[in-house]
Amino acid sequence: MSIADNFKEMEKGFDFTQALAEADRCLLCYDAPCSKGCPAETEPGTFIRKLRFHNITGAIRTIKENNILGGACGVLCPTEKLCEKECAATGIGEPIKIGKIQRFLVEHSWDLGFQVFDKPPARKEQVAVVGSGPSGLSCAAELARAGFGVTVFDEHPEPGGVLRYGVIPIRFDNSFLERELEDLKVLGVKFVCNQRIEGRGGAEKLLEKGFRAVFLGPGLWEAHRLLPEAKEQPGVYSSVKYLEALRKGRFAELEKDFKGKTVAVIGGGSVAMDCVRSAARLGASDVYLIYRRSYVQMPAEEDERIEALEEGIHFLLLNQPLEYLTDGSKGLAGVKLVRTRLGKPDASGRRKPLAVEGSEWVLDVNLVIEAIGNRAVEDSPEWYPGLEVSEKKLIKTADQTGKTAHPAIFAGGDIVRGPGLVVEAVQDGKLAARAIMETLSNEEES
Amino acid sequence: MANKKVDLSIDFLGKRFLNPFMLSSSPVSNSAEILAQAFEAGWGGVVYKTLGADNIKIIHPSPRMSGYNYHAKRLVGLQNVEQITDRTLKDNLADILYLKKHYPKHVVAASLMGFSNDEWAYLAKAAEDNGADMLELNFSCPHMAVEGSGSKVGQAFHLLEKFTATVKKVTTLPIIAKLTPNITDMTEPALYAKKGGADAISAINTVAGISGIGLDDWVPRPNIFGIGARSGYSGPAVKPIGLRFIADMAECRELGLPLSGIGGIETWIDALEYLLVGASTIQVTTGIIHYGHRIVEDMIEGLSDYMVSKGISRVQDLVGKALPNIKETDHFDLGRQGISSYDLDRCIGCGQCYLVCKNTGGQALEWDAEKRRPSLIEEKCLSCMICSFVCPVEGLITFKEMPKDWKRRDTDLMDPELVKQVKLAPFAAKE
Repeated sequence: MSIADNFKEMEKGFDFTQALAEADRCLLCYDAPCSKGCPAETEPGTFIRKLRFHNITGAIRTIKENNILGGACGVLCPTEKLCEKECAATGIGEPIKIGKIQRFLVEHSWDLGFQVFDKPPARKEQVAVVGSGPSGLSCAAELARAGFGVTVFDEHPEPGGVLRYGVIPIRFDNSFLERELEDLKVLGVKFVCNQRIEGRGGAEKLLEKGFRAVFLGPGLWEAHRLLPEAKEQPGVYSSVKYLEALRKGRFAELEKDFKGKTVAVIGGGSVAMDCVRSAARLGASDVYLIYRRSYVQMPAEEDERIEALEEGIHFLLLNQPLEYLTDGSKGLAGVKLVRTRLGKPDASGRRKPLAVEGSEWVLDVNLVIEAIGNRAVEDSPEWYPGLEVSEKKLIKTADQTGKTAHPAIFAGGDIVRGPGLVVEAVQDGKLAARAIMETLSNEEES
Repeated sequence: MANKKVDLSIDFLGKRFLNPFMLSSSPVSNSAEILAQAFEAGWGGVVYKTLGADNIKIIHPSPRMSGYNYHAKRLVGLQNVEQITDRTLKDNLADILYLKKHYPKHVVAASLMGFSNDEWAYLAKAAEDNGADMLELNFSCPHMAVEGSGSKVGQAFHLLEKFTATVKKVTTLPIIAKLTPNITDMTEPALYAKKGGADAISAINTVAGISGIGLDDWVPRPNIFGIGARSGYSGPAVKPIGLRFIADMAECRELGLPLSGIGGIETWIDALEYLLVGASTIQVTTGIIHYGHRIVEDMIEGLSDYMVSKGISRVQDLVGKALPNIKETDHFDLGRQGISSYDLDRCIGCGQCYLVCKNTGGQALEWDAEKRRPSLIEEKCLSCMICSFVCPVEGLITFKEMPKDWKRRDTDLMDPELVKQVKLAPFAAKE
């Protein structure tokens, strides 16, 4: 058995019986509140009702016509904070496991061989989509369904963006992604990978090549660093680089680094949970999760936190990393921490961690993964000099439409909103596609 | 609980039953091996699987049964095409001897089905000679492959009377006639059975039905290699039909026979309901097929505790207790009216009540979309109570009687102007 086998199995979803039993628990609310809890306007109230009444193909259609990544969202959405938070069944017990039902229906469509989409009559207009993450795929699908020719460009070797390179395979694997991408291919979307749209005015140049509009959804691929000014430290990974190595299958290399080592992951979000859980699977002897606030303030979902704890991860809460210690030439010797206590809520609404004076201590570790968030690639504003960009190098758009300062360039996803959810990016892509269609139709008329 | 205070035993046809809970003649009573387990588990008696005279070879269709599901709930009904026993009469009699030898306190009734007058007599004598406590004549299996048998006899009343009389002539054992619900009025065949000499009636056998059809092959289930059939449907969904037929026969003064209730019994409550409409013993198959013999433990404990709570010490004292309260619908006091009443502090805001009232009821609910709460326009409430059936919070919506002078509002007209255009002459009766 190789280390790669530890990552082979994606956690199982519902089977038909389980999904039906869960749908049976649903109260089939009037004016279903769950259907108002989705950033991408998914209607669980409708697809669960359809499942309940054995209109299974209809249920699948409800999901996929609204969200081309319905399967991915079913797996990855923090449903406890969205649709399931609104579930009326909570009043008499547990909320309905909406995400799991959604995932089941999409997986079931593959078992059934049920195709939701046909290739529509083609229109002549071509649109370029930059980035094949959730916003790009969503935008591409929406446009392709209306008959537009869509080409998606991505700098990575394979499409999917964060779905392929930013999540560990036990949570979401390539075969699941491939099947979901199949729908885009049916719709005639073309993918051009290993192609970075960069250089001065790279985005605008696409328009010169004959694309009538460009959607920018490149995402955030540069990691925030604990010590931004410091030079690269041996033994310290960013989550971006680490997860990319993992998803590119460089297990031998990673195993050499991780096996038998003590690893610390800094951060409290979903990405941090992915990092600790995968580090343990790479054979690390001990894995610490270092988080400066307490358990309930962690942005990661409860399920992920509990799974990490049960897999033996040591949660080191109320500790703030300060600096790395080296042992001469060989690499990392430890990380210097200071204990924190929680003060008044900060801008995020969570209680702010305050350093406890004189409480510094050193945790002996061989490896650190920093999972403290992503930001825009440093030179990204140069790719689109005609657009307005914020201090954080995020693209400014008109609300809800993805319209930028350039009439033919639209944007969405993390590059606009900052680090967000897959489901939010899906909605951005969809709304931008509608704005693109409207713009191009207007041009047609005039 | 003080189980000792109550006695679940009951006399039925001169036999003392440890409790009124029996296995019915069916797939669950086909051998001593299976029945020994049932007696160990606590069942008071059995009607042993219908015996045949070995003149016609019985081969069961394969597969024999099909489950009927309701949404995610499995086996709310059972469809089966199993015939009478496929074992030899000799083997079955040996098993009856075994049961009487090892479980003398348990009642073993033998179910019989002859395919001719002589066979009925032959079987009755054989059962009596080998220790059966009583006989049950199977006039009711709805899916016999032998022409003119089973429920075909139960639907031909003179034949039913004749076969009963034949049996009566050759045996001293008490005789139960098991009747089919696949008729309109069961008191009629019951009276024929009585005329033939039956000492008791058991009912209901399975309801002839089709519970599912394959969507790809268009064959009703169970699919016997491309063929389906109208066959016996049983399980919780048939209980209302069974209770009604037992009540009909219990109320029939002319009949006046003890009854054994069958149909959809799983819990002590189901069993008690059969007792309350006039059954003295009850019989179970589908409940055992679904859950095994162990359910009798809950029947015994549940009924005992109920009797303690009601201060009733003998099962016999429950028999027929609901009958005085079952009347024709013209007995209702229509002067007393009520409405549904809402305990909104417990409401979870699902809105199902609003939906059903709007789509099927009196349009009596308004909906606050912001707060997600219903509010009742009392004078429009029909007291259909549908809202309370769909409400997921037990006891939130209840029936409330209104004062005598309270008036329900007439159903709204969509366009009152159209009343003037209605073409309608006053009704005049023609003598």
